[in-house]
Amino acid sequence: MSTDEIRVKIKKSIATITSLSPEEITDTASYRDDLQLDSLTILEIAVDAEYQFQVKIPDEVLSEIRTVDDTVRVVQQHLELAVA
Amino acid sequence: MKQLRVVVTGIGVVTPIGTGCERFWTNLLAGRSGIGPVKSFDTSAYSVHRGAEVHDFEVENYLSNLDAAHLGRASQFAIAAARLALADANVEIASLDLERAGVSMGTTSGEPREVERFDDLFVSRKLGRVGPEFLALYPSHVIAAHIARELRFSGINIMIPTACAAGNYAIAHAFDVLRAGRADLMLAGGSDSFSRITYTGFAQLGAIAPEVCQPFDRHRKGMIPGEGAGVLVLEPFSSATRRGARIYAEISGYGLSCDAHHMTAAHPNGEGAMRAMQQALAQSSLSPQDVSYISAHGTGTSTNDRLETLAVKRLFGDAAYRIPMSSIKSMLGHTMGAASAIEAAACTLAVYHDRIPPTINLKEPDPECDLDYVAGCARAHTVRVAMNNAYAFGGNNASLILRKSYE
Amino acid sequence: MRNRVVITGAGVISSLGDSSSSLQFSLCSGRRAVKPVELFNTAGLGCPLGGEIPSFDAQKYLGRRNLRPLDRTSRLVASAAQLALNDSGWSESMRKEEAVGLVLGTMFSSVHTISEFDRRALEAGPAYASPMDFANTVINAAAGQTAIMHDLRGMNTTISTGITSGLQAIAYATEVIRSGRARAILAGGADEMCFESFYGFDRAGLLCRSEQYAGDFPIPFDKRRNGFALGEGAALLMLEDAHFARDRGAHPLAEITGHGCGYDCLQGEDEESAVNAIALSIRRALNDAFTGPHEIDCLSASANGSHAGDHHEARGVFAGLNGQTRKLPVTAIKSMLGETLGASGPLQVIALLETMRDGVLPGINGLDQVEDDLAFDMISCSNREIDLEAALINSAGFDGHCCSLVLAKV
Repeated sequence: MSTDEIRVKIKKSIATITSLSPEEITDTASYRDDLQLDSLTILEIAVDAEYQFQVKIPDEVLSEIRTVDDTVRVVQQHLELAVA
Repeated sequence: MKQLRVVVTGIGVVTPIGTGCERFWTNLLAGRSGIGPVKSFDTSAYSVHRGAEVHDFEVENYLSNLDAAHLGRASQFAIAAARLALADANVEIASLDLERAGVSMGTTSGEPREVERFDDLFVSRKLGRVGPEFLALYPSHVIAAHIARELRFSGINIMIPTACAAGNYAIAHAFDVLRAGRADLMLAGGSDSFSRITYTGFAQLGAIAPEVCQPFDRHRKGMIPGEGAGVLVLEPFSSATRRGARIYAEISGYGLSCDAHHMTAAHPNGEGAMRAMQQALAQSSLSPQDVSYISAHGTGTSTNDRLETLAVKRLFGDAAYRIPMSSIKSMLGHTMGAASAIEAAACTLAVYHDRIPPTINLKEPDPECDLDYVAGCARAHTVRVAMNNAYAFGGNNASLILRKSYE
Repeated sequence: MRNRVVITGAGVISSLGDSSSSLQFSLCSGRRAVKPVELFNTAGLGCPLGGEIPSFDAQKYLGRRNLRPLDRTSRLVASAAQLALNDSGWSESMRKEEAVGLVLGTMFSSVHTISEFDRRALEAGPAYASPMDFANTVINAAAGQTAIMHDLRGMNTTISTGITSGLQAIAYATEVIRSGRARAILAGGADEMCFESFYGFDRAGLLCRSEQYAGDFPIPFDKRRNGFALGEGAALLMLEDAHFARDRGAHPLAEITGHGCGYDCLQGEDEESAVNAIALSIRRALNDAFTGPHEIDCLSASANGSHAGDHHEARGVFAGLNGQTRKLPVTAIKSMLGETLGASGPLQVIALLETMRDGVLPGINGLDQVEDDLAFDMISCSNREIDLEAALINSAGFDGHCCSLVLAKV
């Protein structure tokens, strides 16, 4: 799966979870500071990403995720790990 | 007009550290832990594996009228605790006006194993096997209903499912019912059974500790889900004395509030918790410095313990440093809707025996948690007034005050 | 000295309307919400009927807020709360000054959310279970979500007593205000239509079967009745201390003068025990209201088409009112709404507020062959004009719970 495909799916999921508009969900906007999302919502985004892509991301890595870019990168890494 | 006084004359508990008041109290004071590997379902797909389950529980010992096969686990615990409480209070059921004997219980999940059974059948496409028993076993009101059915109580019957503060809510309601003269005797408390739904949820929130529950400790890693039931016999002071009952303690007041802030996280400045404590003190005509002991909600999560400490300090001021506050969840785990009922039982016993249970596993206090948490060992301590605090998902806060009945 | 409790506003989300007046209009037009269920597949079930709310869109009531964290039950409650707050004039700024409470009655809260959460964990593995859904698996979730959304910082309690949950919640809130603990509380109930609970009722053999007869079901008090149909909804009333309401310039719609409850510990299996519990509930409510049976102008019955339940209630009412039921007008709105569980009692109250206003008591839709020896003479499928000063509302469940409320004109 390409990075762009991953990005599109993740942004769609964030839109569903938060009701934010696609324009607001930029690649580098901070979930907490820019999008004002609380910890439960950020956790939901992470678990939904794991579920959609069928990957398991360790807690320590999950807690480092701050933006869409981070989420895409981590998902991609774990997809590659799964294939390898 | 003088308000009717409400006292506790009986205690019944089913807990991970023992069933029955005596065993529970002995083990509590000894700092015994009920936490161990989860046995009721397979946790290999989880990253945590420990819980506080009730072992060796034989419900048949407590049933005269109902059949265990028609009772969910939380109902079984509740009936056992109810029977134990009545026996402890030396109540002759035959002497009661059953239309004025009531039940007020709290729970977080009701009977989740029944919906788990439903789901197991659903995913394996065998839903046809679900029979009429689902409705009779599942909805949460059945817990109070089953107690009443077993005992033939036809007074007030109510279920208050306010999650982890439910026991306090149920006891508070029973207190109000008695004071309004709408019952002569109330069984009040809470019950919850171990459940994979609850375990899964808390595991997903990253809230479950891998090994032990260590409230207020710098290295605390979370809570440990548990199960159990606690039931108190409450009656008016006048009728308790008239029948020569042993009076453990008096309930003098309670406070309820709502954070209205977040579903799973407490308000960051402890405001809701403070209001609940303030109301309880005001209703009891007491000041913060009158409190001898606080039974903390103390789940062992990073946020709860810190915010709870903050709320206590904000309300009590300097007195906070003089009042011991312990968390028995360090031993029992978090028994959900039963927790504050079991903790109310512990407060009642603390008032009666002038001893307070410890917070175990507290080795190095978090610098933000600098109160006296009775670390390690139980302590002899004159307990004139005990405050029992509980905080729940949905921002439900409840504080209950128990005091010596003869002062 | 107890404070008097008045109702200053109502919020309703029902299958027959999202306002008190549209609900009353539908009821008085004999509109039936009970139809073949569309929310989920009922193939293989004995009963295909239910009173679901068609195209429920919470965004319509709650604006542009993010509703993903709320499940259907929470959305129903939060929407009804918004309407009740609007109706009673409790603005956002007023709620910042005064901590308004919420007492919600619900039988299931959301068993659907609990089940979906568990099923996803079973099918995909526990690591993929939804944390946001978990927050809604506690039975007090809807009350919590609603408090957050509308800044309701007063006491927040959830009551679960089966069918009577909503009326019990109103009784609970009434006591809190009487005692002076609070001055304003939103009280009522809700339950959503979902496959899991529907399945449970169907398997228990409690739901109506319409194949055998021409005509529509359920039909309370009718000889041909054979069960009830499930519905859904949320209904909340703003209860206030009467003096406080007057001082702030609110217009009270009615007063709650009394409440009572009873419990049949044999849960309907013994007729005398069931009848006795209902009679006791009514007597307690009347005593609490300092009202005699002859002062009651109408009865809103809990009857939902259940064979034994309706019969027990009729006998219980007869006993509770000391036999003074011949000239008592009776309605049973579950004939049209279906059995809305936690919402049922509050919906009955809201319908009667309208009857107080417009003098029309809705008939019992579909009632044609009244049960033999029924203690009521003024009962039919036609609307009735009445001058309503004091009403008795009854809520009684197959689970043994009974709750009664006396409502009076102010």
